[in-house]
Amino acid sequence: MLKLLTYLLRNGVVTQTEAMLPLSEASLGMPQLSGAACLGESCKLCRDACPTDAINIVDGSSISKTFISLDRGACINCSLCIDLCPTKSIVSDRDPRTAARTRDELVLNSPGTSQHSSAQTGSTSANPFKRSIACRVVSTGCSACDQEISAAANPIFDMERFGVHVVASPRFADVLLVTGPVPKAMHDPLKRCYEAMAEPRRVIAVGTCASSGGVHRDSYSEANGVSDILPVDVFIPGCPPHPMSIIAGLMLLMDRLPVLSDRK
Amino acid sequence: MKIAHSRLELNNRHSTINKLVKEDGMRIGLISSIDGSQLLTVLIDPKNGELQIFETSLESHHYPSLSRCLPSAHWQERIVWNMFGLVPEEHPRLKQVLLHEPYSADFFPLRTVSGPFEVPERPHQGQYQFLEVKGDGVYEIPVGPIHAGIIEPGHFRFSCLGEVIVNLEIRLGYVHRGVEKRLTEVNWRKGRFIAESAASDSSTAYAIGFAECIESMFSLEVPHRARLLRVLALEVERVGMHLADLGGLAGDIGFLAAASSFQRIRGIAFRMAELLTGQRFLRAFICPGGVVRDVSTAMLKDISASVSKLQTEIPVLTEMLLENQGVNDRMRGVGRVSHWLALDFALVGPSGRASGIEYDARQFHPDYPDFELALQTEGDVYSRAVVRAIEVQKSISIIESVLDKLCNEESQFFLQLPEDLPPNAIGCSVVEGHRGELVQLALSDQSGRIKRYCFKDASVNNWTALAIAARNNLVADFPLCNKSFALAYSGHDL
Ligand code: SF4
Ligand code: SF4
Repeated sequence: MLKLLTYLLRNGVVTQTEAMLPLSEASLGMPQLSGAACLGESCKLCRDACPTDAINIVDGSSISKTFISLDRGACINCSLCIDLCPTKSIVSDRDPRTAARTRDELVLNSPGTSQHSSAQTGSTSANPFKRSIACRVVSTGCSACDQEISAAANPIFDMERFGVHVVASPRFADVLLVTGPVPKAMHDPLKRCYEAMAEPRRVIAVGTCASSGGVHRDSYSEANGVSDILPVDVFIPGCPPHPMSIIAGLMLLMDRLPVLSDRK
Repeated sequence: MKIAHSRLELNNRHSTINKLVKEDGMRIGLISSIDGSQLLTVLIDPKNGELQIFETSLESHHYPSLSRCLPSAHWQERIVWNMFGLVPEEHPRLKQVLLHEPYSADFFPLRTVSGPFEVPERPHQGQYQFLEVKGDGVYEIPVGPIHAGIIEPGHFRFSCLGEVIVNLEIRLGYVHRGVEKRLTEVNWRKGRFIAESAASDSSTAYAIGFAECIESMFSLEVPHRARLLRVLALEVERVGMHLADLGGLAGDIGFLAAASSFQRIRGIAFRMAELLTGQRFLRAFICPGGVVRDVSTAMLKDISASVSKLQTEIPVLTEMLLENQGVNDRMRGVGRVSHWLALDFALVGPSGRASGIEYDARQFHPDYPDFELALQTEGDVYSRAVVRAIEVQKSISIIESVLDKLCNEESQFFLQLPEDLPPNAIGCSVVEGHRGELVQLALSDQSGRIKRYCFKDASVNNWTALAIAARNNLVADFPLCNKSFALAYSGHDL
């Protein structure tokens, strides 16, 4: 016992003091558009390499009219496009605040293009959850997203300090965190879990699978993400998203998206 | 790795495989089919890692089951039934493990052979039937598919007498996403991403297996540096996941000080992963031909620094866990799997080694010279924890020696592979992930595309072990038992 106490005291507090930090230099993060002109038709390296067809290139009459659209909701952050792009039009983004309230906002467009998707969007009424939320996690995927949610609750990231805690029943949950692409056998359990929650309630799709089906999209298991089943209030892309990205998504839901501190 | 591929007549299949397993000590690595008109059986020689692949043509969709003689075949025969509609006759309990009621009853996702096909007894007709235990005072507890904690979905049906579990039936398939089919739909160069997301907490094992499988189709050896980097990635993944599992065990008995300390040092393993691959889960780093980018000496030094940190922390922490009185009281003698049952069901990974099964796919892998096995014999929750604790330390030493070698050599880390796969080729790989043996098998068609890709996750062997271990234990000890096997739902369901 004494040994244990000494050990714990010696290690002190390990929690990150800043709410939100850029990802470390070693981390690849998600792709973002730098604004540098894309070569269009003659190149298309990124589009052809992308494992989830997340990139679309709209060829214009000249380079300045060529547009890239990159759907982070489908992106599994493999960084192939970043490595391949000869013009550095796609670069890595170390800001972990990647979450968005709508599916459309996850689609990055170089200026001039716009994209629309038909994903169900969640509630637009005034936000009842500003200070604290109780979350129920439903996993329908490969477990890495789940482990990152657990990591967001660990002593280093400690999401409880922002008022987020995980509960063991939908009955006393405010927010449903769903991971994975929701394959067929989970459609019904997921719906029933949502129905068991009291209103007001919110849904967060955690991870690229949950946002769009990711690599599983359009398979025979109909695993096309949460918004096929439930209205989604916040999407957190990434395969899996970084624990700080998950925290950012939860904070976004509470209208308290934190500012990015500097990494010392 | 030596791969022998031969035909085996259906008449001789049973006796040949039975003999090879029972007398020659081979293991059943994988049982599957290509399109529903044949059976593929992969046997592994645990002494030297040599593989024998048998292909058995089928005239009908019935074949004699191996399970009564070789129980380790029982789960895979169910999978073959679900996916191809091939019926193993006299299977002790054939049931649906992957497809649920929402799928139509005559849907067999991987059956592509044309020709007359009389749909066999449905694997998923009507309501799923759980095994019913009858008798005075026996009651059932249904749990799942959604669990209280943050874990994957699955359903447990306990039949109990008082506080004691009489029988546990496990129903899986909730995260069946169609991974194997997807791999035949995309260009093989993109296949690695799908393999990785089959079960992302062992994405390195899946990615290495995928790469080795493709490379074995080309009969190619990748550069030495690439192999070292792969070993490094795989051991970093193992350290991270074993630490997470040890922490999980501590958490399940309410030993929160240890649980959060393990989570904290798991963070160090994540940091190593990030330095090596740019991702905490080591994704998108390993590819057929090698690895996608080299790691600079400066990075290797940083990884070394993390290794030293772990080296001082891990022994202290594991000692604190394993010598704690509460841990001993709760974990010893609980959730036992005897050596004989472990042998019969061919348990793999730490769960097998905790029951005295001397098998670890690293022992015959050329990239692991002087590999030593971590072995325990009791087969209880405690032994499984001890095996992990020993393996973490061994992995750390492997990481150290690999880092040394990497710092002292300069060479290629990638070999460009041709655009198309060799036509009508077969490839196979066996990797020891943190859960145990992972087998992958690939076949290409005439035009060099993947026509069939199969996985056999360690959990396919080990789910049965959980059902055995839970029997005659307290309901309250179940979470602990479950955690100690660290099973994958997604790796099983695919
Ligand atoms: S990083 Fe994302 S967008 Fe870029 S190639 Fe990979 S999956 Fe596609
Ligand atoms: S987004 Fe990636 S990590 Fe998350 S469930 Fe899907 S495959 Fe797994």
